[in-house]
Amino acid sequence: MGLKAKRTIGNTLTYIFLIIISIIWLFPFFCLFLQSLRSYTEGGGGVVEYLIPKQFSLDSYKFLLSTSDSQFLRWYGNTLIIACFVALLQTIVVLCVSYALSRMRFKGRTFLMKFWLILGMFPGFLTMICLYFLLKQFNLTQAGAIPGLILISVASSGMGYYVTKGYFDTIPKALDEAARIDGASRARVFLTMIIPMSKPIIIYAALVAFMAPWCDYIFASYVAFGFSDSYNVAVAMQRWVWTNDYQGYFTRFCAGGMLVAVPITILFICLQKYYVEGVTGGAVKG
Amino acid sequence: MANDAKSGKSKVGQFFSGVGYDFKEIGLTFTQGDWKTKVSYLIMGFGPIMRKQFLRGIAFLAIEVLFILYMVGFGWGYLKDIGTLGTVARVMNADGTFSYNDNSFLILLYSLLTIILIFMFLFIWRMNVRENRNEEQLLAAGKSLGTIRGDLHSLLDSHFDKTLLALPVLGVFVFTVLPIIFMIFIAFTDYDANHQPPTNLFGWVGLENFKNLFSFGTTGLGSTFLTVLAWTLIWAFFATFLTYFCGMGVAILINKKGIKFKKLWRTILVMTIAVPQFVSLLYLNKMFANDGLVNTYLMKWGWISNTIPFWSNPILARVMIIVINLWIGIPYTMLITTGLLMNIPEDLYESARIDGATGFQMFRSITLPYMLFVTGPFLLTQFTGNLNNFNVIYLLTQGGPHSMELSNNAGYTDLLVTWLYKMTINDSNYRMTAVLGIMIFVVTAVISLVVYGMLPSVRDEEGFQ
Amino acid sequence: MKKKVLATLLATAMVAGCLVGCGGGSDSGSGSAPATDSGSSADSGSSADSGSAADSGSGSEITDYGSGTITIWVAENTVEFTKSKADEFFAAHPDMAGYSVTVEPVGEGDAAGNMLTDVEGGADIFGFAQDQITRLVSAGALSPIVGDNATFVSTQNDAGAASAALVGDVAYAYPMTSDNGYFLYYDKSVVTDPTSLEKIVADCEAAGKNFYFEINSGWYQTAFFFATGCTLTYDTDSNGNFTGCNVDYASDKGVVAFKEIIELASSSAFQNGSSISAGSNIGAIVDGTWDADAAKDIFGDNYGCAKLPSFTGSDGNSYQLSGFGGFKLLGIKPQVDPGKLAVCHALAQYLTGTEVQLARYQAVSWGPSNLTAQQDSAVQADEALSALAEQLAYTIPQGNYPGEYWDLATALGDDVISGTISTSTSDDDLMSALQKFQDTCMSYAK
Repeated sequence: MGLKAKRTIGNTLTYIFLIIISIIWLFPFFCLFLQSLRSYTEGGGGVVEYLIPKQFSLDSYKFLLSTSDSQFLRWYGNTLIIACFVALLQTIVVLCVSYALSRMRFKGRTFLMKFWLILGMFPGFLTMICLYFLLKQFNLTQAGAIPGLILISVASSGMGYYVTKGYFDTIPKALDEAARIDGASRARVFLTMIIPMSKPIIIYAALVAFMAPWCDYIFASYVAFGFSDSYNVAVAMQRWVWTNDYQGYFTRFCAGGMLVAVPITILFICLQKYYVEGVTGGAVKG
Repeated sequence: MANDAKSGKSKVGQFFSGVGYDFKEIGLTFTQGDWKTKVSYLIMGFGPIMRKQFLRGIAFLAIEVLFILYMVGFGWGYLKDIGTLGTVARVMNADGTFSYNDNSFLILLYSLLTIILIFMFLFIWRMNVRENRNEEQLLAAGKSLGTIRGDLHSLLDSHFDKTLLALPVLGVFVFTVLPIIFMIFIAFTDYDANHQPPTNLFGWVGLENFKNLFSFGTTGLGSTFLTVLAWTLIWAFFATFLTYFCGMGVAILINKKGIKFKKLWRTILVMTIAVPQFVSLLYLNKMFANDGLVNTYLMKWGWISNTIPFWSNPILARVMIIVINLWIGIPYTMLITTGLLMNIPEDLYESARIDGATGFQMFRSITLPYMLFVTGPFLLTQFTGNLNNFNVIYLLTQGGPHSMELSNNAGYTDLLVTWLYKMTINDSNYRMTAVLGIMIFVVTAVISLVVYGMLPSVRDEEGFQ
Repeated sequence: MKKKVLATLLATAMVAGCLVGCGGGSDSGSGSAPATDSGSSADSGSSADSGSAADSGSGSEITDYGSGTITIWVAENTVEFTKSKADEFFAAHPDMAGYSVTVEPVGEGDAAGNMLTDVEGGADIFGFAQDQITRLVSAGALSPIVGDNATFVSTQNDAGAASAALVGDVAYAYPMTSDNGYFLYYDKSVVTDPTSLEKIVADCEAAGKNFYFEINSGWYQTAFFFATGCTLTYDTDSNGNFTGCNVDYASDKGVVAFKEIIELASSSAFQNGSSISAGSNIGAIVDGTWDADAAKDIFGDNYGCAKLPSFTGSDGNSYQLSGFGGFKLLGIKPQVDPGKLAVCHALAQYLTGTEVQLARYQAVSWGPSNLTAQQDSAVQADEALSALAEQLAYTIPQGNYPGEYWDLATALGDDVISGTISTSTSDDDLMSALQKFQDTCMSYAK
């Protein structure tokens, strides 16, 4: 057997393997999609034991998209608002912190970095009750839950500077120095030089920040409880699976899942290049 | 606030000698200073104002006024009760309404805040003293003092870091540092469902909660804690390394020469990162349930006669969680390793191939050492991240199956963090939540410190900065 | 170097500023926590005439009720209904019309949890299942009901419902339904004889269908233990503290019941669960009236319901499955404003009165607790409710149980489902498991 034949066999096996894992990876989404198309007349919209619906219909989507039947569009809008603000503000905060820590040397710099590292070792859920009452002091729970959630996400985001700082570290300091000799201030260097050079990492930071609120049901449900106008999609939809009050909401859950997943996935795939750059850089920098 | 953990005695010594020096300087400034400086000891910013440093002077003065207002109008009212955390609970009036009185929660929270603010104020007062000294020295040397314009401009230039960091540091302080300090103190109180403000008061109980966690009697949490801790560590180990090696394997296959549609394969895998986990994992939970799709089809095809208890058998549930975590984790590691694998110089492989090395040998002696070296810190963060990997566990099993062997609603797949969450949400058992949170911190910190010291690439990375 | 002074000053000023600001916003400060009900601050006049109004529900002494918002939490499917009834109430009581009502879908399970997290942020009126009442009382989330209102509770409702609203000897809630019990829904084409547990299981096995029974729930589990004559009740004082526990699970009859649970769990038809829409391929399910519509959807023409079956125990005797008869209640959270308290009581009374209970039955099939409403011909003719009524003859009215009991029962059930305790476990081991269960139950009472 020649080298070529060996390679062909190897490649064929690889293809088979890749096809199998692709199926495994896509299968749950395929099921989700099929279930979302099932008509209410089968199993009353609940869980059924078979995969392919006997009767296809868009009932669930119609239910979600009609404002008279459900508040889904409102919840979707809430999540979108939270995601956009968090993406914007969190990116700004992270950029500021990263620039300061990467480019400037000041008293307390290493202390700050180590202190934040230690803080990060406390589990986030530990302080849930305290954060709830803190937000309540500012009237940012229930009716004010959306700004409250944005505030919480943004307030602590300075601690997640690692990846961006790592990226800034790779931009040669000589560029800064040259500009400063020409009389540019730090602020000017930051705004007109560093930021334009950091497009990939900015997109990465914004993308990660944008995706997180879509999955946040824990803190969001803790802050918004009892006020359904402030729910985000995750808070509203997990009830459809976990609470017995919602009989026959399973197909709606699947449909809602599709409506959430599809746009994010498309956005993600479009920006995949930047995401890869970000995680790879982050991983190497630790 | 917290002393640097790694600093040795020398740093502590330095700290104390620094404090000593500080006191000496404060004294010296007072005895040597002019009357403006002396008045500044009481009325902050007086000296700078008299020396026409209006911005700084007024800022100092404003801080002092605000601080006094805060203490008189707000802070002291809470701080005075910190010893008892309140004495008068809610009372019912004759007409059926209720009057709320002391709120232990707010007393503790605002007392801690006030204490921190007092320290900050002392620090600023110290700065005020030093400012006076510096101004006097500058004037004595015949130099001119800075202008307001210069002060402001420096915030965009040489002190740009202050501008950049002010808000982020403030945010972290209010919404991370203060709550964590608060919860640490909660570990020494009896704050739980039966002592919940504003209805009831809670108070100090010393180390009782810690004793409860480590007591192995019938009512203690000792054995449950150890079971959960052991599973947390086992889980973090498998979740980290299995996904790491499998992800690398997939990356190598996709990278292989002659494989087409590389981008397509990657994109398919990467989709799991984009789909929110509460959708995909909740669906997977249904799919593998006893009455779910997988069991039904396997039965229908006659492959099994009894359902496979994917979630209800403790061991199987644990295995399932690790397997499904592969589904979540492989794409992520695949992405990371893809880029790194391409960085390995091709001629290393060429020369190995000429020496007659097999694929596996090359992997073991070239690829793996390189990858481990480069991704060491990443593995560590993955490991500590997995210790607190809430979503996978909670969305799949909610910690179940439970057992009489485990107390306080813990289940066999509970991690410390999901157990902590359930205590908060289901039982309002904040006192034990706080203790568990501290334990999670201790575990994470110990592992990080030990492993960090062992990483080969650490020194290089530090040199890099 | 000097100029960092400024930055620190600015930062500190901001901290101090915003804290002083928020402090001023919430209250004067010195420890007295304000009740920040969304929108309803105490207003003029109404608090002046408090004095002796022990019976705030009838509201005879109160002339100005003030204004504000009243939040109501009910289960998702009754939100529209409750909203329209509340509107009718305010239309009929113009003197209370200063209040507006928001109705939020918060299920009975979540409601209690949320109230416990933050009483102030919770609803003014909320529905909850009876098992939560002691937790709510001990956390101070329920307002006691006294005077004429208490008489309303005890005289208008059936005896079980009236006692379910009591903690110690104080009433804390208005009974809303008497249907919080469970019975059997089944597919007539699958199950031939719904009176025997063994036959139901055998039929389901033969048809390849699932039989749902949530044996890891402390609520459904008691069907077996109470059937063989075991007891498990708690004594409470009127502050919601548990003072005593009467339990005899660790006995021969306990073992018989436990063995039956294990036997059931070992069937290939058995599935743990009690929700029609979360289950699949259902042959029969032990469930409550709230799922009646879903059951009709699923079974169609083969819809059947009956009281729970009986089983033949390991000792050869036949036992009728028992369980809890429970109630859904409507509670009022403690208020600081007497005017609002009076309105809340009046509204809650209206929402649990004869007329609204009947209307609620017609809208969402919830079985009434009101004595007059129970006599209505439509209620009497209801299939699911009759099955429940038949079953209720074998059940005990559900009393108060500590929250930990439900966790413990889940643990016991999970041990059976996971096979840790199985048909091959020896009687001694079963007894020691039950002994542990019993001891732990007793440790919850102080």
